[in-house]
Amino acid sequence: MARRSTKPRELRRQPLFTWVSWCVLGVLYAPIAVLILFSFNDNRAVMSWTEFSLRWYGAALENEGIRNAAVVSFKVAAIATTAATIIATMAALATSRGPGYPGRSAAIALINQPLMIPEIVTAVATLAFFSILRQVTGWTGLGWLILAHTVFCIPFAYMPIRARLADMPDTFEIAAADLYATPWQCFRHVTLPLLMPGVLAGAMLAFVVSLDDVIITLMIAGPGETTLPIYILGQIRRGVTPEVNAVSTILIAITVLMIAAMFTLQKKRP
Amino acid sequence: MKKSLMTTALASAFALTAGLAQAEGKLNIYNWGNYTNPKMIEAFEAKYDIDVTLDGYDSNETMLAKVKEGNSGYDIVVPGDYMVAIMIEEGLLAETNPNAMENFGNVDPKWVDVYWDPGRKYSVPYQWGTTSFTVDTEVFKGDIHTLKLLFEPPAELQGRINMLNDMNDVINAGLRYLDYPRCNSDPEQLKAVMELLVNAKAHWRTMDYATIEKLTSRDVDLSQNWNGAAMRARADRPTLSYAYPKEGFTGWMDNVAVLRGAPNMENAKLFLNFMMEPENAALTSNFARYANGIKGSEEFMEPEMLSAPEIVMPADAPAPDFVPPCSQEVVDLYNKIWTRLKQ
Repeated sequence: MARRSTKPRELRRQPLFTWVSWCVLGVLYAPIAVLILFSFNDNRAVMSWTEFSLRWYGAALENEGIRNAAVVSFKVAAIATTAATIIATMAALATSRGPGYPGRSAAIALINQPLMIPEIVTAVATLAFFSILRQVTGWTGLGWLILAHTVFCIPFAYMPIRARLADMPDTFEIAAADLYATPWQCFRHVTLPLLMPGVLAGAMLAFVVSLDDVIITLMIAGPGETTLPIYILGQIRRGVTPEVNAVSTILIAITVLMIAAMFTLQKKRP
Repeated sequence: MKKSLMTTALASAFALTAGLAQAEGKLNIYNWGNYTNPKMIEAFEAKYDIDVTLDGYDSNETMLAKVKEGNSGYDIVVPGDYMVAIMIEEGLLAETNPNAMENFGNVDPKWVDVYWDPGRKYSVPYQWGTTSFTVDTEVFKGDIHTLKLLFEPPAELQGRINMLNDMNDVINAGLRYLDYPRCNSDPEQLKAVMELLVNAKAHWRTMDYATIEKLTSRDVDLSQNWNGAAMRARADRPTLSYAYPKEGFTGWMDNVAVLRGAPNMENAKLFLNFMMEPENAALTSNFARYANGIKGSEEFMEPEMLSAPEIVMPADAPAPDFVPPCSQEVVDLYNKIWTRLKQ
């Protein structure tokens, strides 16, 4: 224990450590900082600064295309997150509680599959698959996009939930069972409350991943199902306006808030 | 029993999300992002009582990938010239025969027998433009209408040039300068083109799509450019001038077409006819800042568009050169040149 806690300190004492860290952070975040800065610029040209203004935020909010895209984005993210988190919680329980069974590690690998396969491969495969399903069923609408998002959100929700479960000794559950709690009562009153920080963290991660997705959405989205990232992508060839900077800044703010909330929740210990 | 319940639940979930889309009279348009005038859409909706859904794409290839599998739900797409040819060949477009429609007489005759849709059986003009280059006439005071400025630049322009980061635009300019045919697979001629490009590259500062930013930030004094972008750059830097090189320059046209199996076929046909009305074509031009190929639309266009030398070609300029898609053999050769050039 003692040795582990000195390790990071030793790394920090390496020569140039601070300098290298700042360089890395700078390269990572400077472009985003510039984007945010210029979203407050009262000028049409993306490159030259005139004066501080919120006019691009106003313009973005008044733009019907952006408003519709935002509604679609949040609708899809909310439904996909809920579904993915429920499935991921069940999957985490099935893969880390109770006695082992043959094929358990295969099941874990299968659940995490969307993380391993390149997104473009999943996107192209889903496009072809959904095209056939649309033909056969005749169903159209946002359901397909939500379904696709749910699938790739599952592993993101699954990881923090499973990590939390691994950290949680099963003694409480055994005690509950000893006291004649049914499996459902045990889950409802013991496991779930203890698991909640992990579930919330997983849900937020899934929400952010759904909100930011480009490639799969680009392929699956039908008429009127443009999400915010797809809307921004569509603007690029005809010239980016500071309106796009404003929307991007709002997206970044939401993402950062969610990630921060996730870390706070994960740090909470029972 | 369980299974059918599940199916019903799923079906109703889909029906719920699709519920909003049940209104009578619909049209789903898939166009380039930021390329459709909202006022034009409103006019169409009001005239025919049709509810329009509009989505944007970033490239011909994105659009093709998405509609190729079928059942995309879209009615209208706006492919570029070569993409219309590809889509007709692959059977993706519906033969709507706009040439028999009421407003077809408004289409400028020079845009009827085009290589990508001879006689206009599938598509109607949307916007067209040219790809040439912009020069600051304060920096270079000589004759700008020659590709020499790109490939053997005078001292004042050396190191002050931006080229488009686009294989076809750069190689085609080189072929024109050497007076060789397009879609070229002649090894000797391609070798000469490669030498020309590699030598010229020493004088190029950047190869970038962001032409407006490059020019208005004064990073460069000459940039290969699209005519609409050239006009916007000139608004910020009035000494810029758009060249119509005597060796020739690229023309392009985006076209409105209907997808085969479009769910709202009749409304899509109404839209094609609507787009050939001068007033509506002018609405598009005023928004997207390119010419439209519909006779009589000038009357409704903003005056600054009509006087812009980037939009109105001078009478003595050569006709724009529309380059059809080249064979795979040629594309492979071009790729090799491009890879060498970008090293």
